[in-house]
Amino acid sequence: MGRTLPSATQLMHQEEAALARFRRALRRGDQLIFDDLFTAAQKHISAAAYAAHALPFETFLMAMLLEEHKQVMRLQKIVEALEEMHA
Amino acid sequence: MPEFSGWLLDLFEDPREGLVLYFIDEAGPRWRLRRPFPVTFYALGEDAQLRTLWQHLSDRPGEITLSRARRMDVFKRDAVTALGITVENPYQARQVFQQTAARFPNLEYADADLHISLRFAAETGAFPLAYCRVAADQDGQLQEIEVLEGAWTLKTLPIPLRTMSLSPDVPPHHARPHRLMVEIEGETYQFDLHTWRALLVNLRALIQRYDPDLLLTDWGDTWLLPRLLQQSEAHHIPLGLNREPGRGVSWREERTYFSYGRIVYRGQQIHLFGRCHIDRQNAVLWNDYALEGTIEVSRVTALPLQTAARVSPGTGISSIEMLTALREGILVPWQKQQAEMLKPAADLFAADQGGLVYQPKIGVHKNVAEIDFVSLYPAIMVHFNISPETILPDPNADNLVPALGLAIDTSQDGLIPKALRPLLEKRIEMKKHLASTPAWDPYRKNFKSRSSALKWLLVTCFGYLGYKNARFGRIEAHQAVTAYGREALLSAKEAAEDFGFEVIQLYVDGLWVRHPDKTQPADIEPLLLEIQARTGLPISLDGIYRWVVFVGSRQNKKRPVANRYFGVFQDGSIKVRGIDARRRDSTPFVAQAQMHLLELLARAEEPEAALPEAIAFLQNRLRALRSGSVKLPDLLVRQQLGRKMEAYRTPSPAARAVLQLNTVGKELHPGQRVPFLYTLGKPGVFAWDLPHKPNPRAVDVARYQRLLLRAAGIVLESWGLDERKLTERVLSDASQLCLPVPPKKHPVQHRRNIPGVIDPAMDRALKGQSQ
Amino acid sequence: MDQRIITFPMPTAGKISLVVAPRAVLDRLTSMLAALALRGRVLVVDGGNCFDGYALARALRGQTHEVEAALRQVWLSRAFTCYQMVAMLAELPVDGTPVIVLDMLSTFLDENVNFSKRLRLLESSLNLLRRISQGAPVAIWARARTSSVTAEDQQLLAPLLETARDVWELQAPETPVHQLPLF
Repeated sequence: MGRTLPSATQLMHQEEAALARFRRALRRGDQLIFDDLFTAAQKHISAAAYAAHALPFETFLMAMLLEEHKQVMRLQKIVEALEEMHA
Repeated sequence: MPEFSGWLLDLFEDPREGLVLYFIDEAGPRWRLRRPFPVTFYALGEDAQLRTLWQHLSDRPGEITLSRARRMDVFKRDAVTALGITVENPYQARQVFQQTAARFPNLEYADADLHISLRFAAETGAFPLAYCRVAADQDGQLQEIEVLEGAWTLKTLPIPLRTMSLSPDVPPHHARPHRLMVEIEGETYQFDLHTWRALLVNLRALIQRYDPDLLLTDWGDTWLLPRLLQQSEAHHIPLGLNREPGRGVSWREERTYFSYGRIVYRGQQIHLFGRCHIDRQNAVLWNDYALEGTIEVSRVTALPLQTAARVSPGTGISSIEMLTALREGILVPWQKQQAEMLKPAADLFAADQGGLVYQPKIGVHKNVAEIDFVSLYPAIMVHFNISPETILPDPNADNLVPALGLAIDTSQDGLIPKALRPLLEKRIEMKKHLASTPAWDPYRKNFKSRSSALKWLLVTCFGYLGYKNARFGRIEAHQAVTAYGREALLSAKEAAEDFGFEVIQLYVDGLWVRHPDKTQPADIEPLLLEIQARTGLPISLDGIYRWVVFVGSRQNKKRPVANRYFGVFQDGSIKVRGIDARRRDSTPFVAQAQMHLLELLARAEEPEAALPEAIAFLQNRLRALRSGSVKLPDLLVRQQLGRKMEAYRTPSPAARAVLQLNTVGKELHPGQRVPFLYTLGKPGVFAWDLPHKPNPRAVDVARYQRLLLRAAGIVLESWGLDERKLTERVLSDASQLCLPVPPKKHPVQHRRNIPGVIDPAMDRALKGQSQ
Repeated sequence: MDQRIITFPMPTAGKISLVVAPRAVLDRLTSMLAALALRGRVLVVDGGNCFDGYALARALRGQTHEVEAALRQVWLSRAFTCYQMVAMLAELPVDGTPVIVLDMLSTFLDENVNFSKRLRLLESSLNLLRRISQGAPVAIWARARTSSVTAEDQQLLAPLLETARDVWELQAPETPVHQLPLF
């Protein structure tokens, strides 16, 4: 039995493609950040597939947010450590 | 009245005697017995049509008996009324069925096209190569047969098969063979393939003297036997390849088919009667499990040895299911009619998915335990009772499949679980035995081959459940299996995290976990028990890696790929997936070098310590490559041909190699592998099976160097030596290794002599291709 | 396909509508499906493994907040062989629910089944659809091959053309001329 629906990876490519005009109009530097967001979301592609949401972009946004927050937490720890050093 | 114990070697239909059976008597003799064996198939449909059919067949008394029967239809979950058509002689059954189906195309049919050995096994319990006690009368009529070793017996008596092997001196598609080597009972004979009369007379004498049970050939299906038969006829010297007098050999056509997303080519086949013929080059998975595994397949599928050697694992599984159905009195549909249930589109999102697969973190991970579910999908089918007839479209039932809105009826065992349980249990027993016996155990090799044969059947049974033409397949059952699989893997992940492990990777039926303090097998045991308790499925520790490396994809090495890794277990053994060392199209030169690098890393206390030796090794290999001391067969690439060859605008190297072969009249089929060398100039390849020999100087050394360094880079990258750095380091000894090849070694006029390069027909063919 | 020109009307009960078009028509069919789903239950028979639930969800999102509920109105069954196609159509409820058949002919192109058998199975399928269409809207999409149309393709298409009352034949977007529907 072949699959009927596109895989989560294909879906992510579709969503990225759907935003191609938006991306094109961004400044070069912003384009790279835009790409980073999708790379980050890619890390959770299997969770997104398992979630099986009818509108997968919502799940992808959540995945991007998750990686963003992970980064914030990491930076926060560094800031705290630096503050302690200088306290 | 002969009475003996022995093995059922072969059985087939006979136009006069019904069923003919050949036995190996353990006391030495071979027996030909026979018995009447009426065969019944069923017609189902509207009463009026069935009545017409009844009238149509009722004037053949003594040949055909008709009856009204109630039989179980597994998809309807109920008994249905059918017209039973019993054909007195099994030899005629096929013809009677085909005529009936052509004349009454609107009826449905069941039990119509089953192999005679499945019917015999269902009726008597005796399957091919079963050890049994046999009684017959003076006329050679089989009276009684009692199986002494069941298909699920672990330690079986060795079968005293008399095997004669026949091989040409060289692969016939590669070069013209001159001699035929014959080996039997430790004696080897050589015959000249140019003096046919002498060869035929001598071969006939050998066959008569030894009376082999099994002819084990190389290219017997596709080359040797067709030639032997042709010459035997031309010289009027019958060979006696068959034991059964008066029967010709049975030919089956070549074919190409899709299996598990892979394209498979199987050459024409030649089957014998009363004796078996297996062509090692055309047998399924022979390199993997050899004769012992093939015997295992024959026993558990109840297909005769010659057939078992040549069918895909999917057909094997299908036979096991059909045999189970026959035994249970369940109709085996001729054409599956069952369609998918009508379901809300919203359910498709969760249902239309495969196994759960993480994206691993690229790089080295230390002290990682790999835990695998044992035969996960078959275990799920057995444990959760998944079968086409046990799936109920009831979203409100108790026993719901996770996220699918379907329920499973557990009130009685389903057909598929019934068929699979003994297979699964036998495989688990064998694995246990293998894990607990020392290397010198006499059963070890035998168990390994047989266990591998069972593994292939089990691996296939899941895909077969979703195959559109599978008699007992059903989409919903297929979906339920993956749904339970994803849940099992997630439960395992949760258990591991509850126990303080970090989850490194998940892949369909296995997980890779790490804990700073739990680095010995005994530390993992409680986790295994917990996962088993939570999922109800058997799970085992594959091993603990000293280190394991997940590598990126071939196209983009920063992109993680789930199943591309290599690592070293604590006992020093190496596990490799998805890289050159494991790929079947890799050149041996590259694959072996990559494997050797892995061994160097594995041997060292810390892998870093092995790097100088690794570089020296690579320099050594490159020197060998440049000086021409690498044997040409070690440089062969073996790419498999896809379905459409002519579709490419720029033909791939493999396609160019095929074009070369076409110009000398050799045809290849999708699914076959084409071995070739990379060569200098155009077309850049030399097909190995061309009639002339390649010019060793034409080898594209620079290309092989790139392939070697790329493969080495994949292994060494995690220790700071990627392909680029490696190239610098390895080639730093520039005086010896400067590339490309200095022109004076390849003078222009030589190019003309490079085979396969300037051939005008080739050139035209290629030009036509690119336009 | 030029989206400005081509919109075909919603199917109505009492007749079979047929679209003969390449795969690109799937977007339009998905919009039609979304519109039907917003009205009530609709049955989809997929003969070409081509139903895209995500595209349908996107189409619905533009028109309703209750995407999930609307998706629950669409009932789907997929056929992978021509035998399954007939069996499936025979099991469809005949209660006025609209039926959309996607890529009707794909399973009938299977060379493993002999041609006369396939033609007969196709006739049976069309008889079943005719019966359903008496009380329910039925729309069929027959996928037009973009290259190498065989005599067999034509022979399989003929009974469809005969059965349908409304027929649209659409061409691939690559062909610049004659983009208008023939009828």
